[in-house]
Amino acid sequence: MKIKKILIANRGEIAIRIIRTAKQMKISTVAIRTAIEPNAMYLEYADEIYDYSEDLTEIPVFLDIEKIIEIALNTGADAIHPGYGFLAENAYFANKCLENKLIFIGPDPDTIYKMGNKTIARKIALANGIPVASGSEGNISNEEEAIALAEKIGYPVIIKAASGGGGRGMRIVRKAEDMEKFFMIASKEAEKAFKDPSVFIEKYIENPKHIEFQILGDKFGNVIHLGERECSIQRKHQKLLEEAPSSALNSELRRKMGATAVKIAKAVDYYSAGTVEFLLDSDDNYYFMEMNTRIQVEHTVTEIVTGIDLIQQQIRIANGNALNIKQEDVILKGWAIECRINAEDVQAGFAPDPGKIENLSMPSGPEIRIDTGIKAGSSIVSSYDSMIAKLIVKGKDRKDAIKNCKMALDKVWIKGTKTTLPFFRMLVRNQKFLEGNFTTAFIEKDIEKYYLNSEYEEMLAAWLATKMFVEENLEENSIQVDFENGKEMSPWLMNKRMNQF
Amino acid sequence: MNNLKIKKLYALSSEKRKFSFTLPLRNKIRIGKRDYVVSLKSDEKYGTYILWKNRKYPVEIIRSRQNSYEILFNDISYTFTVETPFSMKRMKVLNATKKKVEQESIKAPMPGKLIDVCVREGSVVQRGESVVILEAMKMQNEIQSPVSGTVTRILVKPNANVMKDDILVEIKVD
Repeated sequence: MKIKKILIANRGEIAIRIIRTAKQMKISTVAIRTAIEPNAMYLEYADEIYDYSEDLTEIPVFLDIEKIIEIALNTGADAIHPGYGFLAENAYFANKCLENKLIFIGPDPDTIYKMGNKTIARKIALANGIPVASGSEGNISNEEEAIALAEKIGYPVIIKAASGGGGRGMRIVRKAEDMEKFFMIASKEAEKAFKDPSVFIEKYIENPKHIEFQILGDKFGNVIHLGERECSIQRKHQKLLEEAPSSALNSELRRKMGATAVKIAKAVDYYSAGTVEFLLDSDDNYYFMEMNTRIQVEHTVTEIVTGIDLIQQQIRIANGNALNIKQEDVILKGWAIECRINAEDVQAGFAPDPGKIENLSMPSGPEIRIDTGIKAGSSIVSSYDSMIAKLIVKGKDRKDAIKNCKMALDKVWIKGTKTTLPFFRMLVRNQKFLEGNFTTAFIEKDIEKYYLNSEYEEMLAAWLATKMFVEENLEENSIQVDFENGKEMSPWLMNKRMNQF
Repeated sequence: MNNLKIKKLYALSSEKRKFSFTLPLRNKIRIGKRDYVVSLKSDEKYGTYILWKNRKYPVEIIRSRQNSYEILFNDISYTFTVETPFSMKRMKVLNATKKKVEQESIKAPMPGKLIDVCVREGSVVQRGESVVILEAMKMQNEIQSPVSGTVTRILVKPNANVMKDDILVEIKVD
């Protein structure tokens, strides 16, 4: 191995995930301590910590290209793993690494650039005979052009940011009257989020499934796929639950889509781990959406059904090794489901709910894998994403995996912020979900209540409210409390008092 | 309050469901013909929880204002007002004379930055229609109207920073 020491340019669960594999490969790791999370859990796992907690600038160090390179050089790291988010898909950063003789654990900067620009990616797909939704050839410069094109391909259409991702700078337009407004919103959002106002237009595929293929390629032109992930359970274009494989694919469709994914990866000389995202309609037509040139949050479900460590593959490939797996070696076994347990308020439309995690306890067992960077006492800070943990559950088949997931969900214990748990508890009991009958519109259209509602639980909550009332107002020898009308009380203060019951 | 006269308490949910409890409050709840013990406990590992039928449920009291309590139970929040038989009666009388709510104030569900206001004063909105777009924690959240009606007042401008529970838009309910 050329790679002896990796700088982890990331935080949270993915930093720990990368360190875990690096340890197995006898590669040492450097993690960065920041002012925002000076006691974060990932720091406990790294062999070395670079202390950057003195720096109080608002922009996270994980986005600071010059600083990350400097830290790598100063700590003697020979490679950088960017994880996901932050600089993971920044072609300029990947190139800077190469200029400084540092190995970037990811694909070539040129590949990142091509696939990161959605208009270029679309052109490459078209040139290679890959199915894409009909739409503009390049960027659209104004709403007149947008309206003219939409008339041609037919409404509804979707406006997307050329440099976009994660649902930002994206708007669905159903009629010409709305074009002007949405074109402006999308372009403004794109400018703000990606410093690039360019947008393009595609025919909007109604109620598709989001199916993505995991790709592995090496520097010798070998590319294979590791099967698909089902990621249709989303809200605001953000994934909440992923599965591998998908119940929507039979082996023939899997072979066809897999071959298409490999073809587009080969067209950009792809190496490292990557993901080709498709939309699949109800007639089994599929359309190339985009390629993610990084390790993804949901890589775990692919690891479970293939038994392949994707981080290990990324490191091997970056090191210059040839792929040690052939397409025919990839056998999908069993079923895996990942639930993203985020600090979000399901009852307030999945609004983020940052705060301190007071208690946390996760289930364990042969069917369960937990990837987390949060422990009791950690804070979910508003500067980063709202993830608390990934609960990954496996089973013999889909039914078995859902059954195990249902049991595991009841054993997750998190106190301090609201979480997406009530959503998952509802989901694993939802008939349409159980039948595999759902699309990306599921959360918005097919469910009435975002969370599990139990009559008994509400009654018990009512009992507790009544108990509080009795304590505060009726009991003669009740403990003294700071009961002031209209003033908000901290629940933690309440807790202290409740402990004395 | 005179605790000798009160024999019953009612917990009214925000969705108008009524749960009644006899006083003195027992730590048992009857379901069908059986009583089940309910207890409020706390320890180092789990924090505060309710033990019911051999299962622990995380609980929290998020807010308490006068006789109103917001309870977080198993990650779902419930708001109750606890009423005595007297206050119940008074409420009924008050409700009978009071007109239906005509005005709906849409509040910020979280602190954040206002990206866009999708409506104008005088706009007619349907229930579920987006009225403002609020950015928080790297996500754009479309705040939707819980009612159908006409926008009477817009209290915020794009790019404004808002706090949780700030009133954003007022709507006259149809």
